[in-house]
Amino acid sequence: MVVQRLIDALGADAVKTQREDLSVYAFDAYSEGQLPTAVVQPSSTRDVAAAVKIAKDCGEPIVARGSGTGLCGGAVPAQGGIVFSFARMNRVLEVDVRNRRARVQPGLINLDLSRAVAGAGLFYAPDPSSQKISTIGGNIGTNAGGPHCLSYGTTVNHVLGLEVVDENGEVFHTSLEENGYDLTGPLVGSEGTLGITCSAWVRLMKTPEAVRVWLAGFSDVDSASAAVSAIIGAGIVPTALEMLDRLALQAVEAAFHSGYPTDAGAVLLIEGAGFEDDLNAYESEIAVLVRECGALSWRSARSEQEREALWAGRKGALGATGRIAPNYYIQDVVVPRTKLPNALRAVEAACDARDIKVANVFHAGDGNLHPLLMYDRSDKKQVGAVIDAGNEILQVAVDLGGTISGEHGIGYEKRGTLTRIFTTEDLATMARVRDVFDPKRRLNPEKIFPAGVGCAEVR
Amino acid sequence: MIAERTAPKTVEELAKTLAQCNDAGLAVTIEGGRTLHGMGSQPRRSDLVISTTRLNELLTHEYHDLTCSVRAGMTLAQLGERLAQQGQFVPIDAPLRRKATIGGTMAAGWLGPRRHFYGRSRDFAIGSQVVLADGTIANAGGMVVKNVSGYDMSKLYIGSFGTLGVITQLNFKTLPVPQHRRVLIARLPERSRDRVVTQIAALAVVPAAACCVEGFRKNIEGEDGIDGRLFLLLEGSQALLDRATRDIRSALGRAGVPETIILDSGAPESLERLLDAQIATLGERSMTYRSLGMPETVESRARELRDAANRRELFTDVLFDIMNGDVFVRVSERDSRAFAEKIENCDDELRAIDPRSVIVAGDAPIRASLNAWGAPPESIAKMRGVKERFDPKGTLNPGRFVDGI
Repeated sequence: MVVQRLIDALGADAVKTQREDLSVYAFDAYSEGQLPTAVVQPSSTRDVAAAVKIAKDCGEPIVARGSGTGLCGGAVPAQGGIVFSFARMNRVLEVDVRNRRARVQPGLINLDLSRAVAGAGLFYAPDPSSQKISTIGGNIGTNAGGPHCLSYGTTVNHVLGLEVVDENGEVFHTSLEENGYDLTGPLVGSEGTLGITCSAWVRLMKTPEAVRVWLAGFSDVDSASAAVSAIIGAGIVPTALEMLDRLALQAVEAAFHSGYPTDAGAVLLIEGAGFEDDLNAYESEIAVLVRECGALSWRSARSEQEREALWAGRKGALGATGRIAPNYYIQDVVVPRTKLPNALRAVEAACDARDIKVANVFHAGDGNLHPLLMYDRSDKKQVGAVIDAGNEILQVAVDLGGTISGEHGIGYEKRGTLTRIFTTEDLATMARVRDVFDPKRRLNPEKIFPAGVGCAEVR
Repeated sequence: MIAERTAPKTVEELAKTLAQCNDAGLAVTIEGGRTLHGMGSQPRRSDLVISTTRLNELLTHEYHDLTCSVRAGMTLAQLGERLAQQGQFVPIDAPLRRKATIGGTMAAGWLGPRRHFYGRSRDFAIGSQVVLADGTIANAGGMVVKNVSGYDMSKLYIGSFGTLGVITQLNFKTLPVPQHRRVLIARLPERSRDRVVTQIAALAVVPAAACCVEGFRKNIEGEDGIDGRLFLLLEGSQALLDRATRDIRSALGRAGVPETIILDSGAPESLERLLDAQIATLGERSMTYRSLGMPETVESRARELRDAANRRELFTDVLFDIMNGDVFVRVSERDSRAFAEKIENCDDELRAIDPRSVIVAGDAPIRASLNAWGAPPESIAKMRGVKERFDPKGTLNPGRFVDGI
């Protein structure tokens, strides 16, 4: 019934129902959910609206999905239903160079946007490591970050307005330039629980005149994280400040030959952008600070090639760990930046106690940790140990005054832990927003909110 | 008995008072420094005023983390001074910073001229605490600079004019204070304005603020006769300022503006005066409109709004922001009676140019008859839904916000 109606509305080629097709959409990069009833690939906002109306009529849950690179189960259908894939809505609709903005479709690959506007001397700042495959729509859903968020801010700082299809299949628009409530703010990062983004106006930034990348090697993560604190504490905010520990470095070098020192216990990858004159002063200031913190080596990437090689290594780090173990479990927590040394020590302790190898590659300047716990999925004992350790790491972040997700979202995997940072009142207040946009909880059900936080409880 | 006006000393006290009012069906007005009370419409009803001015501590300034947490009632100036002790600041630009509270300014969602450079003040808010109409104390976000744990509720409260809850605390990321600041002022004849705007917008070194001013002679420096003037603020290292000054001078030269005055001292005060001018009134004989829009149209929009008011024989002072696209037009007359006679027709003309322009200042008695918020936003139905769910009894600032919310 629902399938036939979807086919009538969108055409047979836009509706997938074969089991082998559907099974692909039951996963994201980490979790598995239920097999959906159907997957639709709308070509327009009108298609999305039509499909939402049909799904609603037939009582099917609705799950919007980008490329499925998420790590918390945000895009997996927890109760089956209709999955919306945006593979066909992947265009840059408009580039407004004078006002530095672009209107894009949700299925557009993140990196394709920066490529499309590079000729005009502009770029799109949020750059998650998955930017070669993740979509703008998915990035909006999780308020994605990336290395350059340190100075440019996360996705929510770069979305100017949204075109959204609501749970009734009606279209509404939000804009930061309009009077009234800032609906854009809560919609970004809502993981598809408040509506389906069908297009977005995003902010573009001017490509800096000069960019430099520096690499500082340390004997261990302790001294590297001390250097992070020293840099931030000195009031310097580089455009990016990333850390890789020994295991991560070795994996990255083996895979990419990016030019990282494999004998170091940890490195900081630091990027500064602006003007030549400024960067000279900046470079000497940072060089002094890292030496004071015990840096063993200091290198300035001279050519664009050298810079790109270093970044390619950093952004490919997750895949590179395939050399260490068949699987990895990545955690995403944030601590106040000065608490990095404590957090890293606690991560190590949690993993050591369970005999788990851990690689760290993360956004140090933001205090956003990404420990990669190495394991073998076929070994049940290892799986259990990794989940335990991950859980302990979450608690470490909470105890240090941090939070349980910096950029990957809550999704399905972390919803049970949201109560560690928020009271029932806090969560019930968020649920009030959900009540307005999705009273029946049909949009991406079982995500973000812990089971039991619902309108019934609030009322 | 409930007093007519109260300034609670604790969040819990505020929550209790609010819950009592809510139960009793009273309408509550939320107030900070009252600096933006002239923006938008006035509440329909007010049985009690709750002021946040006694909730005014800086709770923490974790300067090594570049974060701070502040109670809503602290003034912008106080917060600025406290953070400056550690060489930091939060880029929140708003008028009357000595009186304006953090909570009030953020609740009004005031947009400043440095936002293209530093980001919107809403983007510096990393966490918040609000008290809802029923007395619920709700937290969102936290003290870390990156956070996707739950909905970004802080952004919903910012700019909501106290109609969803009372902001009692905000957490911000901070920035290092720029090493140097410089103001450049140049005469700006109308015939070269278009070219100047294009040149400034295309500068490689982006100014922290760039505004054109026409009038506001008592408020903003630069004697211009009737020419108008350009106000540029540069912030950063000495090297950057030198480079920017060179670039600007040659850009202005190309656009036919010969002379530029440099102010190296008093730059912060100059910016302050410019911000104050945005809501400066002339007693009961003026009204200031703000029109937001694209930078591309800012010069023509400013001209059209001014000409429309002049056609209705009202005087105008104009201030427009080259980088962000905001236009402020203050329309006035010599006396309040003449003003009252003309403003209604003028209002129609201004709204024909920008239906969503907002009245941000004006004491004229006729104000109540004007629709201060202009045409309702597109997603007004959703906004009503949010209001209904957060404040079903209409306790908080009823009528203060868009379309009677």
